[in-house]
Amino acid sequence: MSKKIAVKVDDLTVAYNYKPVLWDIDLEIPEGVLMAIVGPNGAGKSTLIKSILGILKPIAGSVAIYGKPYEKQRRLVAYVPQKGSVDWDFPTTALDVVMMGTYGSLGWIKRPRQKEKKAALEALEKVGMLAFKGRQISQLSGGQQQRIFLARALVQNASIYFMDEPFQGVDATTEIAIINILKELRKAGKTVIVVHHDLQTVPEYFDWVTFLNVKKIATGPVKDIFNDDNLTKTYGINYKVSIQE
Amino acid sequence: MNSAQIEIQLIASLVAIACTIPGTFLVLRKMAMISDAISHSILPGIVIGFFITHNLNSPLLILFAAFTGIITVILVEYIQKTGLVKEDTAIGLVFPALFSIGVILIAKNANDVHLDVDAVLLGELAFAPFDRLLISGVDVGPKALWIIGVILLITITLLIAFFKELKVSTFDAGLAASLGFSPAIIHYGLMSVASVTTVGAFDAVGAILVVALMIAPAAIAYLLTTDLKRMLALAISFGVLSAISGYWFAHWLDASIAGSITTMLGLIFLLVYLFAPSKGIIAVMYREKQQRTEVSLLTFLLHLKNHNEFEERHVNHLREHINWQKVRAKTVLELATKNNMIIVENNIVSLTKKGDKFTSKAIDYIITNEDAQIEDMKDDFFLFRG
Repeated sequence: MSKKIAVKVDDLTVAYNYKPVLWDIDLEIPEGVLMAIVGPNGAGKSTLIKSILGILKPIAGSVAIYGKPYEKQRRLVAYVPQKGSVDWDFPTTALDVVMMGTYGSLGWIKRPRQKEKKAALEALEKVGMLAFKGRQISQLSGGQQQRIFLARALVQNASIYFMDEPFQGVDATTEIAIINILKELRKAGKTVIVVHHDLQTVPEYFDWVTFLNVKKIATGPVKDIFNDDNLTKTYGINYKVSIQE
Repeated sequence: MNSAQIEIQLIASLVAIACTIPGTFLVLRKMAMISDAISHSILPGIVIGFFITHNLNSPLLILFAAFTGIITVILVEYIQKTGLVKEDTAIGLVFPALFSIGVILIAKNANDVHLDVDAVLLGELAFAPFDRLLISGVDVGPKALWIIGVILLITITLLIAFFKELKVSTFDAGLAASLGFSPAIIHYGLMSVASVTTVGAFDAVGAILVVALMIAPAAIAYLLTTDLKRMLALAISFGVLSAISGYWFAHWLDASIAGSITTMLGLIFLLVYLFAPSKGIIAVMYREKQQRTEVSLLTFLLHLKNHNEFEERHVNHLREHINWQKVRAKTVLELATKNNMIIVENNIVSLTKKGDKFTSKAIDYIITNEDAQIEDMKDDFFLFRG
């Protein structure tokens, strides 16, 4: 394969209070894949994303985005944190949250203007939330809040998207809407990396997968490595998932 | 009004604005208690600063004391990070320790100067106009007014410059970090402003009022709006309102100005807490009652849709079938009729076309887990609410 490597992780070790959460992770994510990170609770899935994005400081190892450190490549990366990580009672509107996605390209001090607002409105339309632009965010349903987060990432117009459990607590309609947008992103040549919980949908939604449980168990194309052997190694019990052909 | 009265109200108002701005963000970050900690633990900073500068109004002293405020924040975070105690416990450990150091330092070394614990905690706004700032012999106004004026100017400049950074890092620190806006820099920036403001204001109004002015106006505004800019504007207005009304209240009672301003803040909060249009207690209770009735209505409509048999839809039997008390059944029946959702013929209740459409849509939303949408739909269907 001569594909470019979008994200490269070398010997990454992260610890909370001296207890390793991620241990010596080596990972190469090729450009243009739609990848799921799967693993049991406490496997370090969110930690891996946060370390790649420089939100957490690893105790060893390095991360490269298209060959350069993350700090130099911020504009290429968009991040959707877990929905539960923010206070939805914060006094702000759906449109305003999406506008926050434009802050990165603006940099310090500069304020968003018409151009940024237009981009935010377009992103809202893409996720089917334009009608809710003026709505206070606490008055949105769980699925709608997740769509707002997705719109906020879309507005960043990045090359690589990191998403932490975007399907958590959303209804079936929203899940389909979200996965369709992710597939469109892949079609446009973007790389999408998703922390995912529902093993049943992995073969249907993703073309690439990484098994993680403190250590990296396996990474590669879903059709090659998404099997009972790797699932058992990751989850520790005898795992059986029927894979759709 | 004489000029001293005007000056006092002006100082109180500027202090209110200067406190409200960082206070709004502290409230949104759920860090209200940290202002309490800062306001107490600056005492040793003031005392040590005074030993060095021998001048209570020196800018150096303000910076020195503000630095103690930052140390407080760092200590609290350090203790909290050990994971052995929670944040509120850490705050409760740090500030009494620092405060007591300040008290001992004053008792041992500063008994002969105008620096006592009362003055730091309560301040005395009434005396502020007597302490004048002289520039080459010309009286340019009370010192307190200049100190707080300069601090306010800096605060407003920082607020305007870094509004979007403050907003994003307060709402979503993870996103802020990934975008390159270090939440740590913004956090300590905000803490520095809060510390400097506290120190600048303590001489005029005392540390306790500083806490009240940082938290109460923001808490009041939070109940009234869902927009950050409006929240800031409202908080500032309530701060100034209580500063001025508190002054006149104190004038009338011949009591402490700082105490009266705090009382006004408490009163305004109580009123807003009770009567705020959507988040106030009374509105919430009214809405809950409305919601209960409307959920009953929906249950009733679903029952009608599910049952074609007459005995299930007879007015007299409804109560037994859906197991409601008389009053509730009557309220629901009336509400459904008023909204043209049902018709009653020969004591048999049936859904109207409109009622049927409403019910089908509601079922759709319930099974797709979009219950929240039912609320929007009510606006289209209901002529009268529950």
